[in-house]
Amino acid sequence: MNEPRSGSAASSEPKPSGSAGATESLAGAETVRPVRFRDSWKTGLLRITTVRIIVQAVMFGLFVAFALLTTFSNVDRCPALCFWLGTFLEIDPLIALATAITTHTVYAGLLWSLIILIPTFFLGRFFCGWICPYGTLHHFIGWLFRSRQARTVDANRYRRSQHVKYYILAAMLVAAVFGTLQIGLLDPLCLLYRSTTGAVLPALGMPAPDLFGEPRYCGGAWLIGALLFGLLAMNLVVPRFFCRVLCPLGALLGVVSRLAWWRVDRVPGACTGCDQCRLHCEGACDPHIRLRRAECLVCFNCIEDCPERALRFACFPDRKHEIVGTDVSRRKLIFAGLAGLLFGPFVRTSGRQTRDFPSDLIRPPGAVEELEFLERCVKCAQCARVCPTNVIQPALVEAGLEGLWTPRMNFRIGHCQLYCTACDDVCPTGALERVSIDRKLGLGEFTRIGPIRLGTAHIDPARCLPHGKSVPCVVCEEVCPTSPKAIYSERVTRTLRDGEVVELRVPRVDIDRCIGCGLCEHACPVVGDQRAIYVTAEGESRSQDHPDPDRNRSVRLRPAAAPARVDPRLQL
Amino acid sequence: MAGRLTRRDVLRRGAGAVFATGCAALGGYLLHDPHGRRGLGTRAQSVRRLPNYFADVGFPGQNPRMSMAMGDVQRMEQVVRAAIGGLDPDKGMRRFIRRGDVVLIKPNVGFDRPPALGATTHPEVLRWVIRLCREAGTRRILVTDHPIESPAACFARTGISRVVEEEGAEILLPAQRHFAEVGVRDCEPDRGLGEVLHHWPMLHAPLAEATKVIGVAPVKDHNLASASMNLKNWYGLLGERRSRFHQAIHETISDLALLMSPTLVVADATRVMMRNGPTGGRLSDISPGGVLGRPTVVASVDPVACDAWCYENLLGRDPDRLAYLGLARDKIRARVVEGEARFGESDWRAYDARGLVTMVNV
Repeated sequence: MNEPRSGSAASSEPKPSGSAGATESLAGAETVRPVRFRDSWKTGLLRITTVRIIVQAVMFGLFVAFALLTTFSNVDRCPALCFWLGTFLEIDPLIALATAITTHTVYAGLLWSLIILIPTFFLGRFFCGWICPYGTLHHFIGWLFRSRQARTVDANRYRRSQHVKYYILAAMLVAAVFGTLQIGLLDPLCLLYRSTTGAVLPALGMPAPDLFGEPRYCGGAWLIGALLFGLLAMNLVVPRFFCRVLCPLGALLGVVSRLAWWRVDRVPGACTGCDQCRLHCEGACDPHIRLRRAECLVCFNCIEDCPERALRFACFPDRKHEIVGTDVSRRKLIFAGLAGLLFGPFVRTSGRQTRDFPSDLIRPPGAVEELEFLERCVKCAQCARVCPTNVIQPALVEAGLEGLWTPRMNFRIGHCQLYCTACDDVCPTGALERVSIDRKLGLGEFTRIGPIRLGTAHIDPARCLPHGKSVPCVVCEEVCPTSPKAIYSERVTRTLRDGEVVELRVPRVDIDRCIGCGLCEHACPVVGDQRAIYVTAEGESRSQDHPDPDRNRSVRLRPAAAPARVDPRLQL
Repeated sequence: MAGRLTRRDVLRRGAGAVFATGCAALGGYLLHDPHGRRGLGTRAQSVRRLPNYFADVGFPGQNPRMSMAMGDVQRMEQVVRAAIGGLDPDKGMRRFIRRGDVVLIKPNVGFDRPPALGATTHPEVLRWVIRLCREAGTRRILVTDHPIESPAACFARTGISRVVEEEGAEILLPAQRHFAEVGVRDCEPDRGLGEVLHHWPMLHAPLAEATKVIGVAPVKDHNLASASMNLKNWYGLLGERRSRFHQAIHETISDLALLMSPTLVVADATRVMMRNGPTGGRLSDISPGGVLGRPTVVASVDPVACDAWCYENLLGRDPDRLAYLGLARDKIRARVVEGEARFGESDWRAYDARGLVTMVNV
């Protein structure tokens, strides 16, 4: 490990043993050269780093624009927008690779990830330094809060802890082989989208609802926000801590970049060992000695900063001047793989995905069967963002540890709107299938299959006003959107305690008509308590035909007599 | 900077400490609350009142108070013009809308449904109501509703957005800031008289800005209230947890009938939802013009009588058995002061007997 040194003066002490070829140029060891590295910043307008900053700004701007545009009104007005909204998720090679491992397919737009992956074969981790909006955010925070007194290169020295990301990647990919997709927890783009949707935008809307329309709720926003803030704060300790130490996508691109043709190369003869190259090094990749290629973010700051022009971006440079691989410990890697191997069995042993499925876990319409869903969902929260009623919420504990931040419907907050498939349209991985309105409602050619059922409504007779309190109500029947209504009422005559005889309408649920949209639960006036009518996963259509009895969540053999759904297409 | 304390330092610090002591004591005294109630006390709600939007119309006594026009949906312009023209053959819409008026039009956009299903106001009826208002020289036309489902989705799916944009009116999507407490009556409600509302958060911002209010409601079956027409349409202006009013639905609707005194109401019976209301969902739930069998538009200056007529002639049911009509009549009779321009007759035949009902076939 290198000792911390002052960055403003050239060092005269010999390099550590690892820096082969660095010492020969330091013959006159006592000459302390006045370094004016700032000069290089003044040469030319379109320096490579300026271009990089522009590209980063544009990419971050695009991300913000896409995130803000991802609303129901926009998607509804312009369905073609869906093609663009998930762009940053679809170009993410880690999502493509991990879902390819779990599902053996590359879903729809994920093929776009090749436009990041293929250039990485030649240029290294340019994505991290140039494109990644989360990386740009860390870059910016690190720059904004950088220490101005201690101008030291020590913060940017290479650390053994940078191996951690490879262990994380290994554990997650091994877990993916066994069917549980967890990359979404730390994949930078999923993390950024989730933080934006789950914490930043709702939090901005809370004090200023007039600016951002209706306030949006998000379950567990505190945890999502704390993770975002904590990771950003780490930049004050170690610049780009997330990118260097945790990022599994960076790790993947780092592994891949061992093939790269180009890299930053130091000309040992010209190098005076002044260490200026490390002053703004984003990747902590040791450009002053043997470059750690897997860590280099190709930010070009070192080339910019070098007062001797001893650094350049070269094609097929000398292998002696670099450390090609990731240099990780094989034993630790195997251990990480074992952790990933055991993760699946550990979380599945609870049976929460199958036999002990939580009754209040309702997935959005278009969700595939639960185990397939867990193979696909990357927890990006795009569905929650686009939902017009805010019913889709990232799960905190409701879906178990494995389902942390996967989408679930909270009918106390919203309901599933009948003529809406926005969540399905924006899902980047097919965890929510792209279904049409006809498919969702069981119209047209789907009449025989019937509608998508999210679950079934149940009435709690103790809480229900007409049932338990002899008070008129039946709001649930009023709002029930199916035709004929799944909720109907029976007229009963009751004698109250004071002898008054009242005729009441008592609601009932027709199990064959209920689609589990949750509008009844949402509108139920019993709000201070658990709702008097609530939807559970019972009868959800996504698992209805599953041959495994542990995965089939329907008490009904088959929905009785498909109702005469002969309506023509009713869309505008 | 070590050194002896100067006289200046001592004075400065001493004065600072005395000043800080004073501030702390004064602040403590001003904020002191010995009972712990002041911080929790109910904030004085500024309860607002709604004006009578019919007051300055100057409606001639001999004019028809209800006017129906029947005709095909393709000829909606003529149908709407005939319906409104029937109320005042000379001036038509100009009787109600003056140059410079700000008009609030309240359609029923309660559900995220295609217009063909009849759960919401027909866009073409709304189009021609807006157009007639524009021709009368309005300054602004606002269209609003507070739907059960997501407002943006409801306005888009029902075709209302498109029509409003095409006609150059403005949609006001309800947001928290538009709501305010609106008083229904000054005294505490008397449950014995069927009164329930004292004050309640309503979509007040557009109501405050408007000088005229026009309700354009579809005629629908309703599972609890039996029918949803013009009086029930005002329900869409209520905020918060309005679903609790279903415990006294007739009392609430008749309270709204007392509260809202619109310039004009238009009942849209182009297609009447005969069953499975108020949501419907199948084309077989609706029928063009209901029992009449022909698309109909009713314009009226008396929302109560208009609802009674629609209930009997379009839904084919007995208005005497629709509790909120009788309650509305009684409340308007009891609460409306002498000389105020207000109609509230639940027996439409009384108008018919006096020749105050017209009907045209377009």
